[in-house]
Amino acid sequence: MAEGKKIIQKQKPMRTVLTGLTPAVAASVYYFGWRSLVLLFVVTFFGFLTEYIFDRFYNKPVTEAVFVTCVLFALSLPPTLPYWMAALGIIFGLVFGKLAFGGFGRNVFNPALVGRIFLYINFGNAMTGKGAWLDPDGTFPAGLVRFTLDSISEATPLRALASGGSVAVKDLFLGNTGGCLGDTAAFLLIMGGIYILWKKAANYRIVTGVLLGFLAMNGSLWLAGLTFDPLRGLLAGGFLLGAFFMATDPVSAAQTNRGRWIYGILIGVLSVLIRVFSNWPEGIMFAILLGNMFAPIIDYALSARKRKGEGHA
Amino acid sequence: MTFLGAFAIFFAAIFTNNILLTNYLGMCSFISVSREIKTSVGLGAAVTFVMALTSAINWAVYHYLLVPHLVYLRFIVFIVVIAAFVQIVEMIIERVSDVLYAALGIFLPLITVNCAILGVSLFMVIRDYTFIQSFAFGLGSGLGWMLAIIAMAGIRQKINKSPIPKGLEGAGITLIIAGIMAMAFVGFSGMIAIG
Repeated sequence: MAEGKKIIQKQKPMRTVLTGLTPAVAASVYYFGWRSLVLLFVVTFFGFLTEYIFDRFYNKPVTEAVFVTCVLFALSLPPTLPYWMAALGIIFGLVFGKLAFGGFGRNVFNPALVGRIFLYINFGNAMTGKGAWLDPDGTFPAGLVRFTLDSISEATPLRALASGGSVAVKDLFLGNTGGCLGDTAAFLLIMGGIYILWKKAANYRIVTGVLLGFLAMNGSLWLAGLTFDPLRGLLAGGFLLGAFFMATDPVSAAQTNRGRWIYGILIGVLSVLIRVFSNWPEGIMFAILLGNMFAPIIDYALSARKRKGEGHA
Repeated sequence: MTFLGAFAIFFAAIFTNNILLTNYLGMCSFISVSREIKTSVGLGAAVTFVMALTSAINWAVYHYLLVPHLVYLRFIVFIVVIAAFVQIVEMIIERVSDVLYAALGIFLPLITVNCAILGVSLFMVIRDYTFIQSFAFGLGSGLGWMLAIIAMAGIRQKINKSPIPKGLEGAGITLIIAGIMAMAFVGFSGMIAIG
């Protein structure tokens, strides 16, 4: 049982994704102070511990994928979230989103999102309430010399935009706005996203599909006067983080190439619909979970059609 | 106005107030018949058909027969109406079309005891729907139920060979999946207000 003694199983694509996420983690420290990093460590510690105990039981090594899950989960949290809630969320996400399904490579839903939405539904106030957000001050050295900020912010750019206010595109692009840890600097997320696309750790079909669906839906609702413009919509909130890093999880996404297009477009469209019409300010997380839910049936429908087509020919 | 209301109720019944994922009705057949995609499509179609028509029939029965004196009998009367309707449909299908009977026939007896069907009729009374609204609600609820069971069948087919922990095999993992699906559907909440 040489394999059973290994504690961590190395996985190259996961390393790539972690590298792609590093700039976003750095930005969260720069804008919100060192507490963001502590939050990340708490999440990673409990995530690793959960996975380690479970995998011990089955005599398997812990896969590196758990670190990606933990970082993605931490980046989707607001900067003021109590540590115990963060720990609870990641444990729930890993146990019910991944380990119950048989561990790495078997999860139907993205475990980071299962944990995140569990918190979203149960601790709405801590996750999106009035005291949850911080208002960053972008002048150097900003958060680098502080543990946390005292400037509690009433609203994120999404809330401000939804209630008719305006937010400068430059601020959204550079990340000088309130929001979740990973919602800040759009250009760092885009850079990281392009990096993992270039390294083929993420499938370009999914990302393009999500962006196309989002722009088409947001654009048409904007023309109808129901929401704000697509450019700000694209840069604000957790959309880019979700589109590049969460929707592209190869295990929980659709498995066929045409299925990936449909899966991506579905997520893009749903994220706009949920953002604009539902009670929740942000839709991409729910949209990806719904996408995960319908991914197997999309694959099935496509392969069934293909079989039928071959039968006729 | 009524038409628009019915339209909103139709969509609300599929997404924001999905009978299965927000009210957790109709779980028994949802868990036991979602193993294969083909059978779950059949069951879903049968449930949609029965739900839409029984909600319409029950509306008429309730408003023209029960409202004058017998409102307290509605539970038992609704169950009898549903059971009788399902039996009649089964007999008609058996006579008319062998293909349809092979596809739907085996599911019809299962539907008689599906609590979602009775639930739809009762919600219709509580929420004071008009005839058109009741029909839209029944049809929407059926389609929402079908959507959920097809997605579940797809997922169960995908995890068919997964090394699920022993204690969670079968119903256990199905309930966990249903829970996560319900969490995802919470995202739709507030989209359409239901009367």
